[in-house]
Amino acid sequence: MIIDRKDLIDTISSFKKKGFSYLVKILGIDYIDYISVLYILRNLDSDEEIEIEVHLNQNDLWVPTIINIFKGADWYERELYEMFGIEIKGRKVRKLLLEKFSENIYPLRKSFKWGTK
Amino acid sequence: MLINELIEIIEYFIVMLITAFAFAYFFGWLERKFVGKFQRRHGPTYLGKFGLLQNLADFFKLLTKEQVWPKKADKLLFLVSVFLIAGFTLYLVMLLPIYNFYIINSSIILLLIFIILSFLPILIALNGYSSSNKFAMISAQRSILLLISFEIPLFLVLIAIGYYVHSYSIVSIVNAQSNLWFLFIMPIGFFVFLMALLAEMERTPFDLREADSELIAGWLTDTGAPYYMLALFVDYIRSFFGAAIISLLFLGGWYGPFGNSFIWLFIKTIFVALFIMFIRAIAIRMRIDRILYFGWIVLLALSIINLYLVYLGY
Amino acid sequence: MSLVKINIGPVHPSTHGLLRLVVTLDGDTIVNVEPHVGFLHRGVEKLAENRMYMQIPPFIEKCDYVAKTAMDEAYVATVEAAMGIEPNERAQYERVILLELQRIASHLLWLGAMLNDLGHFFSVFMWTFADRDKVLKLLEEATGQRMFYVNMRLGGLRQEFPKDFEYHVLDVLAYLEKRINEYESFIENSSLFKERMYKVGVLSRDDAINLGVSGPVLRASGVNFDVRKDKPYYVYKKLNFKPIVLYNGDNFSRYKVRILEIKESIRLIREAFKQMPDGNATGMPIKLINPAPKNKVVRVSREGPRGEIMFYLVADEQRPYRLAMRTPAFINLAALNHIAKGNKFANLFPIIGSLDLVMADVDK
Repeated sequence: MIIDRKDLIDTISSFKKKGFSYLVKILGIDYIDYISVLYILRNLDSDEEIEIEVHLNQNDLWVPTIINIFKGADWYERELYEMFGIEIKGRKVRKLLLEKFSENIYPLRKSFKWGTK
Repeated sequence: MLINELIEIIEYFIVMLITAFAFAYFFGWLERKFVGKFQRRHGPTYLGKFGLLQNLADFFKLLTKEQVWPKKADKLLFLVSVFLIAGFTLYLVMLLPIYNFYIINSSIILLLIFIILSFLPILIALNGYSSSNKFAMISAQRSILLLISFEIPLFLVLIAIGYYVHSYSIVSIVNAQSNLWFLFIMPIGFFVFLMALLAEMERTPFDLREADSELIAGWLTDTGAPYYMLALFVDYIRSFFGAAIISLLFLGGWYGPFGNSFIWLFIKTIFVALFIMFIRAIAIRMRIDRILYFGWIVLLALSIINLYLVYLGY
Repeated sequence: MSLVKINIGPVHPSTHGLLRLVVTLDGDTIVNVEPHVGFLHRGVEKLAENRMYMQIPPFIEKCDYVAKTAMDEAYVATVEAAMGIEPNERAQYERVILLELQRIASHLLWLGAMLNDLGHFFSVFMWTFADRDKVLKLLEEATGQRMFYVNMRLGGLRQEFPKDFEYHVLDVLAYLEKRINEYESFIENSSLFKERMYKVGVLSRDDAINLGVSGPVLRASGVNFDVRKDKPYYVYKKLNFKPIVLYNGDNFSRYKVRILEIKESIRLIREAFKQMPDGNATGMPIKLINPAPKNKVVRVSREGPRGEIMFYLVADEQRPYRLAMRTPAFINLAALNHIAKGNKFANLFPIIGSLDLVMADVDK
């Protein structure tokens, strides 16, 4: 389901209350006009999974942090930040996998071509 | 007369030194082969028949490495402490009697030996402090804790033996075992002594200093090559000393079925050494707080019980 | 109270790979553990966007160099789901047999490495490696490669099992059963092991679900979730698979779950050989593939030896538009901080050993 960014925290909390208490992954996909961030939640009792999608414009890249709802979102959000350049509002994130001293390089965006530095 | 005695002492010194070095070399080889066979692999096999020359090759290799000093390390203190540890350990080995070849037969020699052994924590503290490494200091602190907590049970067992034999001279103790080994007279004492000696020699399961997977290599992290070799060598000499002491005090020393001779002492020493290596091959290291519990509560209680039983039995 | 920061550097003598830990200590108690990872990052997700579908499996396999077939099979299953291909029944049985053999091999390596961390002097490590070598010989017989077997093709395997493979496998399984019992009794009768593993590194059930861990770490904390049972794939339903759940959440439970999983895998392989129908399990050769994806967006979960492997594929004509991987050791390592807080420093390495980390999994 596709929702707006401002409803994100409320939607995720309500799903968690309904039983979707396991966060599977947070991932980002770069379609050229927009970047979409997917939150995949799973219900351990009924084995359903649900994907919550948020579309972000290229000049307005930020999402609120959901670390207060799911503690496991920590490293996923850090990876999102360093691979796509999406800011996480609400806490300070540091890079996880890449070198700590490279600025403004976000590898998983489509605009990052092979062979560039 | 003084010259004769001096020559005797020097002769004794040289013989014991050679014996200690030969045993340390042999122990190193035996450990690698024996533990290797336990683990379904051969030990060293390439150099010399059965890999006997492997330790010699390692010795030469380590001598040719470059020595790097960290900036904040205290060179003089480190050298002094390393050589003092080596010197004290060799001194301990000198005092052991081998059949009728001994340097001195005083009646308090056993106490002297263990008092010298208790000096080692101070030297280890100096060693750890002088290397500027955090890991070496933590390692040294842990090993001081380990060594001092196992000394009291050790001394209580010695008191039990001394009480039984009325003297602390090793020759008298071995002669008192001509009928029955002390292993059978005080089995609890044997167990306590073996465990405490394993801790004093810092072998598994108490080998905190060389904890491979924690704190990199412990106190030897920053040591250069020649001193590394010296430290390992001293470790083997300490193991030889421990095995020899156990076979002298509890296993009847040089008494054997076909006449007494020093060969029996060496055989028993090798047997005890194999047992210690066997423990190394199959035991997991204990955690420091469990080690302290074991030393201060379990072994202390057992050694007091042992002392009381010897008093009653006598 | 002054806090000391210790750096357990990227190179260490235990067999973990390149993991850097910055541990904040208060005396002897751990206050904070921060893993710094990324030494093995190769950018697999970006590489996959530039290659055709069946050129990608070698990259995926190297993401978990201990249990390679699990990652390979998960990826190929994703592509099959996108193309709408379904492997025939014999191919499904053969894939299950290879997966379970790989699980046994991976758990044997974990056993040796964990005992090394506890301070054991490589003895059990040597023994389990010798046993793992027998399993690797079987896999070599089936696939032709000893290390990186790129064996899965769309719709089946690269080649059929050779003749007499079944008898070789059953021999090795009989030998392994005896050895596992020996290891169990040898390890569990040692009181040194018990006192270092009981009640150490406890992870409660709610925390486990909140942190998102998976695999044996999750099942040792009392959560009955196994991808093989809850989202069954291939023939696990016919083989009567039951997940193994323990309720204590400490190091010992995590150890015991994996030992019991080895025994369960042995049983599954025997059942699979009995039930396997005749037929041909060879999949499509690579050159003949002209993929036209039927489903544009697919998501497939599998159960690897370390936990849940999930692939999310946005499919284009010849290449993936986006391939996202969820590897199990990534999130298990993120949970380390939470598990290790408040423990003594000497307990840190047994906890890391029981989480079964492979760094390539973490770094993708």
